[in-house]
Amino acid sequence: MIVGILAPFTGADAALGPAYFAACLPAVRAINASGGVNGRTLSCKQFDTRGDPADAVPAVRAMIAGNTNLFMVIGCTSDEAASVMPILEQSHIPAFCQTGQSEFDKSNFKYFHRLVPPDAYDAYGMVGIAYFKDNYKKIALVFGNDIGSQTFVGPATTAIQKLGGQMVINQAIALGQPSYRTEVQALINTHPDVILTEALGSTDATYLSELKQLNGGMIPVIGSSATIDPVWFKAVSDAIGVPDLVKYYQANDTPTDFKGPGYDEFKTNLLASAGDFANAPKYVTRASTIHLYDGVIMTALAATSAKSTDHTVFNPWIIKVGNGGSGATEVNKYSDGIAALKSGKAVRFNGAGGATFFNQYNNSQGGYIIANYDAQGNEVVAGQLSQDQINQIIKLAGA
Amino acid sequence: MTFYITTLLVYAAVDIIACIALNMQFGVSGLVNFGFILFQAAGAYTAAVLSLPPQSANGGFQQYVLGLQLPFPLPWIAGAIAGGVVAIPIGLVVLRKLRGDYQAIALLVISIIANIVITNARPFLNGAAGVSLVPPPLADQIGVEAVNTYEYQYFYVVISLLCVGLVLFAANRIANSPYGRSLRAMRENEVAAAALGKNLLAQKLTMFIVGGVMGGLSGAILVGFIGLWAPAGWLYPETIVLFAAIIVGGRGNNWGAILGAILVPVGFFEATRFLPNFGQPGLIPAFQWVAIGSLILGFLWFRPKGVFPERRRTFPNPSAG
Amino acid sequence: MSLYAAAFGFGLVSLAVIAVGAVGFTMQFGITNLINLAYGDIMITSAFAAYFLNHAGVSIWIALLVGAATGAIFSFLLNRFIYAPFQRKGTPLIGMVIVSLAIGIMTSNLLLAFVGSDNVSYHQNPGSTVHLAGIILTTEQLLLIGVAVVLMLAIHALLRYTRLGKAMRATAANATLARNCGIPTGRVIDAVWLITGALCGMAGTIAAMNSDSFAVANGSGFLITILAAAVLGGAGQPYGAMLGAVIIGELTELSAAVISPEYKAVVAFSVLVVVMVLRPQGLLAKFGAMAAAG
Repeated sequence: MIVGILAPFTGADAALGPAYFAACLPAVRAINASGGVNGRTLSCKQFDTRGDPADAVPAVRAMIAGNTNLFMVIGCTSDEAASVMPILEQSHIPAFCQTGQSEFDKSNFKYFHRLVPPDAYDAYGMVGIAYFKDNYKKIALVFGNDIGSQTFVGPATTAIQKLGGQMVINQAIALGQPSYRTEVQALINTHPDVILTEALGSTDATYLSELKQLNGGMIPVIGSSATIDPVWFKAVSDAIGVPDLVKYYQANDTPTDFKGPGYDEFKTNLLASAGDFANAPKYVTRASTIHLYDGVIMTALAATSAKSTDHTVFNPWIIKVGNGGSGATEVNKYSDGIAALKSGKAVRFNGAGGATFFNQYNNSQGGYIIANYDAQGNEVVAGQLSQDQINQIIKLAGA
Repeated sequence: MTFYITTLLVYAAVDIIACIALNMQFGVSGLVNFGFILFQAAGAYTAAVLSLPPQSANGGFQQYVLGLQLPFPLPWIAGAIAGGVVAIPIGLVVLRKLRGDYQAIALLVISIIANIVITNARPFLNGAAGVSLVPPPLADQIGVEAVNTYEYQYFYVVISLLCVGLVLFAANRIANSPYGRSLRAMRENEVAAAALGKNLLAQKLTMFIVGGVMGGLSGAILVGFIGLWAPAGWLYPETIVLFAAIIVGGRGNNWGAILGAILVPVGFFEATRFLPNFGQPGLIPAFQWVAIGSLILGFLWFRPKGVFPERRRTFPNPSAG
Repeated sequence: MSLYAAAFGFGLVSLAVIAVGAVGFTMQFGITNLINLAYGDIMITSAFAAYFLNHAGVSIWIALLVGAATGAIFSFLLNRFIYAPFQRKGTPLIGMVIVSLAIGIMTSNLLLAFVGSDNVSYHQNPGSTVHLAGIILTTEQLLLIGVAVVLMLAIHALLRYTRLGKAMRATAANATLARNCGIPTGRVIDAVWLITGALCGMAGTIAAMNSDSFAVANGSGFLITILAAAVLGGAGQPYGAMLGAVIIGELTELSAAVISPEYKAVVAFSVLVVVMVLRPQGLLAKFGAMAAAG
């Protein structure tokens, strides 16, 4: 059977596809080593959406038409999720999507599953760090004007306002421009205490580098969960240098500690996949890769629990494997899960990315941590926002 | 598989209408409209905001104007009209004073400006995210479940092909009429045509608007099918791909436009999806694009005037015999 | 007030980068009648060639020359093996535009397959920051402006004072007549592609140096800005391209300061459209440079 990676592999977001492919490889490696799913082995196949919602529709139709043995889909980024999810739902294909778009916060898609935080909550987390942890009052917003990043601005602005802070400047910058110096200078003139940002690709690297030059030094930066990512680290550290990045940057992220049996299993299999995909090891601390790996394992365990590879039968089991019922055995590896299921127990999968808590809309929320980088670009947990603090923001912002 | 085929048929219909429209502007009248995709976008957005419920629906996560939830076929008609309406001011400004390739660049730049403005003016058409959850035609009448059936797909293919027929009929009537001769005269030699008393500006503007109307209709059909429309879907390379289609197929005639539409945006772009997977991820998709470029080059090399070059219309020598 | 002065300074860097590219582009068009849509992709390819050398330990200024050489050789070979044969086959002008598009697609995707989609930076030392009357520039940026000025002067000298330059101008005005006068137009065109290709490669590397972080996807953005600057000044007119670069470069940065960063490209492009409508032949007209459509 096939795990389809439905994502941009060419075009402006070409960096995303390979990261998700790197999630599939260790998962199928672990699954096949234990005999596959109900005896059937899995393999990974890429389907390029070209980063365009109109091109994504024939891509997903071609995928479904040409692959009758499609087990599940991973990927579906903000570039195309809105146009492909209805089709995946109609064809009963379970999907783990990497989009924070608000339209999936309360959707009715049963086959949609999301392990990344919705953009609105990510924004609240960032504001929470600025306000609760560091008591910053003057906050600047620098977000890319693309689909994935602009959805932060509204929630962030409301949250700042309701908490009594001051948003000194809100810049929506076009991605991939060669220079943002005028924008940077305008920001410097407002004397912010901190900059909240998500502007992917080369944008943050260019912007922050010019900020450092023009300001004569860095200003504290808080990034979204998407900025905790080896690709972002490399681009920005190349541009502003590792010491400044380590000192001035924090981010909001879902709890991950890159430790534990679940993570080790992921890491072992990822490094072993270098034969199939030479760059796979570089994604060892990339959140999206880790989450999608968990998604594949969870779905495989769901199919095993349901004793069926019929999508309509095993799809509801994904939630059960993720959340666990009472008396479920917690497992961290596919092989352990198979063993537990064989001896008749129910399982709950706590994988490389930590425990899952699906809500009724198939979104998983595990709280937020405060993270920054060490000199090697690894994520380090620097603190946590308490559930009370998060609830306070959510209540104030009226979500 | 059926769904994939119906998808391809609808996309083919959309591209055929767009290519015929472009052929009207470029092939027959000689207007190099490098900003064509803007008309398709105008039609798509108009049809979308007329079919969508008010912006507070679906949890209010989008911001857009109107939201009138009009029944089919009103949004499609409005989309076509919108394409024509957008063409008027642009045509008046650009066609009046600019020659040839300057028009091309100006129109290209105008489509880029529009894309940037809509991306950034968020409450207008929901910015970069675009408008989504657009109800397909007749969704209110037949219910959401019925939309997911084979019958609905066939229905969609049929109405799309009907639109193709309509557009083809109109285009043929124009091209084969005395008006069409006058257009070709203008394309071949503007000075001579003007000397013969043809009102060039009126002809150019009319063809621009006609092409805009057809382009708008193609946008309405597409948005009804895929359910969303965002700036990423109408960047300037889309127009260039359509130009490649009519050049490869043969400019100046509708059969060339149809063949080009089937070959390039549908044929090349889709067939290359089925190339065998090898190598690192991302390699195949990149090579798919290389294959598309090679196919275009190959066709242009062997048939520089297009697969169906324009028929040279000859007239018998009246004084012979 | 200081923001506007700073923006003006940034505009100087922008226009330097754009000018080098726009002059190359417009000369390609003026002399060979080709709108080379692959130009931006060749720029980014050259930038990556310089990148590999730079990360092997070579100074960025030497790598810059390698970038120029890459652009020159690439463009020359492109003309030899693709553009010229297609033109000899009788491909109409619009067909050549499509050919250049196809080449652009193939180039950028081959590059993508080869270097990947990561965003990379050069190892370069920006030097100290200079503050002068509100303008804030690093020494490296001043050097880049200097490089651009030198290149512009060199092109000026080429066109005005050398035989090759005169042959180029003759070929641009009327290729057939030039040939009949004994000018070896074939060799002139080869020289044009080498020289403009070098400008293209250099422009790409400079743009990458200026932007601190770049990837394959940046190529298409370069193309549009350069196209706008070239046409603004009058297509085929090198001095016009320089003027166009000044206007686009400064307008972009100043409008980011005055209006808002979101619309800075819109302002520059709108000015282009306005100028085109008011003065269709471009700011510095060159009669006969543009063939009629088709």
